[in-house]
Amino acid sequence: MAYHGSTVHIACSFSLVEILAVLYRSHLKLGAQPGLPDRDYLILSKGHGVMAQYACLREIGWLTDEHIATYYDDGTELKGLSDASVPGLEVNSGSLGHGLAVGAGLAYGALRRGSSQKVYAIVGDGECNEGSIWETLLFASQFKLHNLLVIVDANGFQAMGKTAEIMDLGDLEKKFAAFGFETRTVDGHDEAALDQAITELVRSTVPGPRAIIAKTLKGKGVSFMEDSNLWHYTRLSEKTYQDALAELAAVAEPELHP
Amino acid sequence: MRNAFSAALLAAAQADERILLITGDHGYALFDEFRHHFPNQYINAGIAEQNMVGIAAGLAKGGFRPVVYALSAFSPVRVLEQIKLDVCCDELPVLFIGDGAGVVYSSLGVSHQSTEDIAALRALAHMRILSPADAHEMKAAMELAFRTPAPVYLRMGKSDLGPVHAAPPALEWGRLLPVSPGDGPLVFIGTGSLVNLAVKLANDWPGAAVWSAPSLKPLDADSLVAACEPHRIVVTLEEHNVLGGLGGAVAEILSQEHPMPVCRIGVPDRFSHFCGSYAYLMREHGLDLDSARAQVHAFTKKHPA
Repeated sequence: MAYHGSTVHIACSFSLVEILAVLYRSHLKLGAQPGLPDRDYLILSKGHGVMAQYACLREIGWLTDEHIATYYDDGTELKGLSDASVPGLEVNSGSLGHGLAVGAGLAYGALRRGSSQKVYAIVGDGECNEGSIWETLLFASQFKLHNLLVIVDANGFQAMGKTAEIMDLGDLEKKFAAFGFETRTVDGHDEAALDQAITELVRSTVPGPRAIIAKTLKGKGVSFMEDSNLWHYTRLSEKTYQDALAELAAVAEPELHP
Repeated sequence: MRNAFSAALLAAAQADERILLITGDHGYALFDEFRHHFPNQYINAGIAEQNMVGIAAGLAKGGFRPVVYALSAFSPVRVLEQIKLDVCCDELPVLFIGDGAGVVYSSLGVSHQSTEDIAALRALAHMRILSPADAHEMKAAMELAFRTPAPVYLRMGKSDLGPVHAAPPALEWGRLLPVSPGDGPLVFIGTGSLVNLAVKLANDWPGAAVWSAPSLKPLDADSLVAACEPHRIVVTLEEHNVLGGLGGAVAEILSQEHPMPVCRIGVPDRFSHFCGSYAYLMREHGLDLDSARAQVHAFTKKHPA
């Protein structure tokens, strides 16, 4: 997709692959088709990572290889940022600081209806520059949205550089805790740790919202992309594409064929 | 007009428990009765308008019918992007109430005045805009809004100017409402608070017709052309910037469908530099009877028969 699409948000998609994989594999109750009224909601508030979500939707069969092949082509419905008109995507994001509030509204609506639906909302640490994120944290705590789990994809970067150097967020776990969230910090590429933290927080009986600070690497899995902001929004050449595929395959194959 | 708003809201909430009133910590006594009767359908989302609109969008996606109440100075303009992306893009049934529209808060200054809200929202796809002129139009507008599962902005301006209709009119999207008939050279089309001024102004031009435009978007070309065709000059009146509001919409349509001179009366393209009573500030912006009359005279001289 990224190679076909030329200039894309590639590194911000790699940082949340494991988060999405664990959610889709073990936690989201979506039902057999998109849009069922009693589904859990996965809100990709950092819409820049949507390529990774397209890959998940391909895995569960809601997008086909033919859809994926149209990415960035004229007339494609698969935009470069999350768009709710794509079956399986819930919000229009890409302008940051929007999706979390919509997710909180969905969570509040589910509680009002007495539904057991859950809302999993993924925000970026860079996205936490937006004041609207903190407005929603206040609301989630005030209205005790215990069915809302916010996952921060804390890859330490934003568009122009390191988050710590541009708009330092300090200790995100303490900040979320101070806003009334039951919060854990985990390695966002350790699927077992993510799975355990999500399971524990969803089962928790604490009456407020929950959050996971997922420490991630931007560009995870491709050594020359990791921790390098060159790859926030860029294009792959034939060589970098092949190099990236080779690195990803080297890691993936032993797991697929033990 | 505020009583009509409150009564219509109460009736709607009574009939449909999916209707939720969300306020950005505003409303004071306006919602006393609502909170008393429907405490479970009342949400104070605090002084956090961006979140408030996102919450409304999420609730609408979950099957509710949110009514978002704020001063028109704060919503829509402060949250225009939330309205665009979170609500309009997905055509969600959220009703936005913008109170104090125009220069109602005349003594508080620019922060609490809104003379750009219509222009800002007209260019948002899927958004509908209502601007009732009196209590009768307000009742009809609220009923129309609740019948329409789509994004709607209801602009609530100066509310104590008295009725312009004798009874609740049959209001439809896009249609002008007749106020007083006439076959003279001039037709006056007002919206909101300035329909009242249009009626007074028309007295100076024998045979002038007066129409109210409570549905600013959509605004039907057929209805507009039918109202204007028998006349030579159109005068539009609105408590809003002369750019991008009713006058702009009328000029856009007539220039294509039935070209004729359009005299646009509204707040000049500027902010309120001075403050004072509502009557003072309207005069300051040239929206009192004498100033408006002078503008129409000057225009008719420029466009003789």
